[in-house]
Amino acid sequence: MAEAMIRLQGICKRFGHLEVLKGVDIEIAKGEVVCILGPSGSGKSTLLRCVNLLAPPEEGEVFIEGHDICKGPGSGSGEDSWELDFVRQRVGIVFQQFNLFPHKTALQNVTLAQEKVLGRSGEEARAKATELLERVGLGDQLRQYPETLSGGQQQRVAIARALAMDPHVMLFDEVTSALDPELVKEVLDTMRKLAEEGMTMMVVTHEIGFAREVADRVIFMDDGVIVEEGPPAEVLENPREERTKQFLGLVLER
Amino acid sequence: MSEFFHQYFDFTIMGDHFSEILEGFLRNLLLFAVAVVLALLFGLFLALLRQLPGKKFMPLRGLTIAYIDVFRAIPLLIILFLISGGVPYLNFLPKDIRIPHWFGQPDPFWYAVVALTMVYGAYMAEVYRAGIEAVPGGQVEAARSLGMSHGQTMRHIVVPQAVTKIPAPMLNEMISLLKDTTLASVIAYSESLLLGREVLAETFNSSAVMLSGLMFLVVVLPLARLVDYLIKRNQGKITRGSHIEVA
Repeated sequence: MAEAMIRLQGICKRFGHLEVLKGVDIEIAKGEVVCILGPSGSGKSTLLRCVNLLAPPEEGEVFIEGHDICKGPGSGSGEDSWELDFVRQRVGIVFQQFNLFPHKTALQNVTLAQEKVLGRSGEEARAKATELLERVGLGDQLRQYPETLSGGQQQRVAIARALAMDPHVMLFDEVTSALDPELVKEVLDTMRKLAEEGMTMMVVTHEIGFAREVADRVIFMDDGVIVEEGPPAEVLENPREERTKQFLGLVLER
Repeated sequence: MSEFFHQYFDFTIMGDHFSEILEGFLRNLLLFAVAVVLALLFGLFLALLRQLPGKKFMPLRGLTIAYIDVFRAIPLLIILFLISGGVPYLNFLPKDIRIPHWFGQPDPFWYAVVALTMVYGAYMAEVYRAGIEAVPGGQVEAARSLGMSHGQTMRHIVVPQAVTKIPAPMLNEMISLLKDTTLASVIAYSESLLLGREVLAETFNSSAVMLSGLMFLVVVLPLARLVDYLIKRNQGKITRGSHIEVA
């Protein structure tokens, strides 16, 4: 079997005395779309942050394309270890709060890291950015600053910004939670297209419908551990665990 | 009452010494212009040192914090005396540094530039820090997860946003610096206060000193209004909800 795109082994993460992740194992194959569900505080977002070392785990190992990215000398702070560059060049992330650079236009948001990190020429970066922004349906908003864009548009710029770095994996951290309901669809459609194109995706979300339709596998987490995982039809329609049933009952009631 | 008026507002004395005091005031402005540029740069440098990440830079961060604390705590006047009264006698230094006369300016000018830069650099570092800390953490996370280094993140993302958040407090520091250029009179830099005091010693009349004060008033008042305007504008932004953090 080919090496997994992402392999997490025994991931533990603490913030002070608070144990957020208590030994999580996950394997994600190339091209797989995995949705992670669970109540607030269950450690879903922290898990994503462990994968790209924004919050390096205290224990356990993270393999990306077979490389152990946690064993470097600077694993404590994540600084100065070659693994950091390795990870950040392969793993893109999109945040709940978009985090676009407010002093840069949509186009500049997407070109900046291409030029500074990948060393692409301005022309090359602009071409790539224009193409990506057109792909997410924002070809006519290139010169707009983030504050003039709607939440959904901002989030699509953020997706284009991450894609511009040619990531092998994309992480989505509750990317629709801060959006007005009518703007959720445009972002989910963008993600759906990305999944169809074969991108490996780890999606933390509360959108059960999206998970049911797009995910290859659904993982339900609670209290820092994986409670249940499997194909969406199984986990979402016929959950085995009481905790999963309870959660889905509450979410679907809305 | 007329005695009071005569002591402080003798228009004859003011008129006689106007061009002399004005020349002195221009020296205040020159000292300000040089010191403020250096202090703004030095302050930013200190603020950036303080933000260096990781265990490796802990000693450097500690030293920077210590520097800022020390130079905020010691009165500027004392620093001024320590430099102008001590540096000329440090014989291991080349003469050009002990008694500098660069660009045709006298040595007290340069001692004052150094003292003002050292002290106001520390004050301004604190202002920059407030600006840097006001940039939402998500900005740094976004930049770092795109692969940008700490330095690139500071340069392209954090500092450009930080400086837009601090014009008002920074202008206040600049106003203080401008006024503190009069301290250079005690080390014999012939700026407006020193010249005014010479007139006072000759005539026992304060009008020339008052004239120097009025010149500061004319320059500083509009700046103070500008600070108020900037603060109001900033509050307007926050209440309108279009402020950056809210996005």
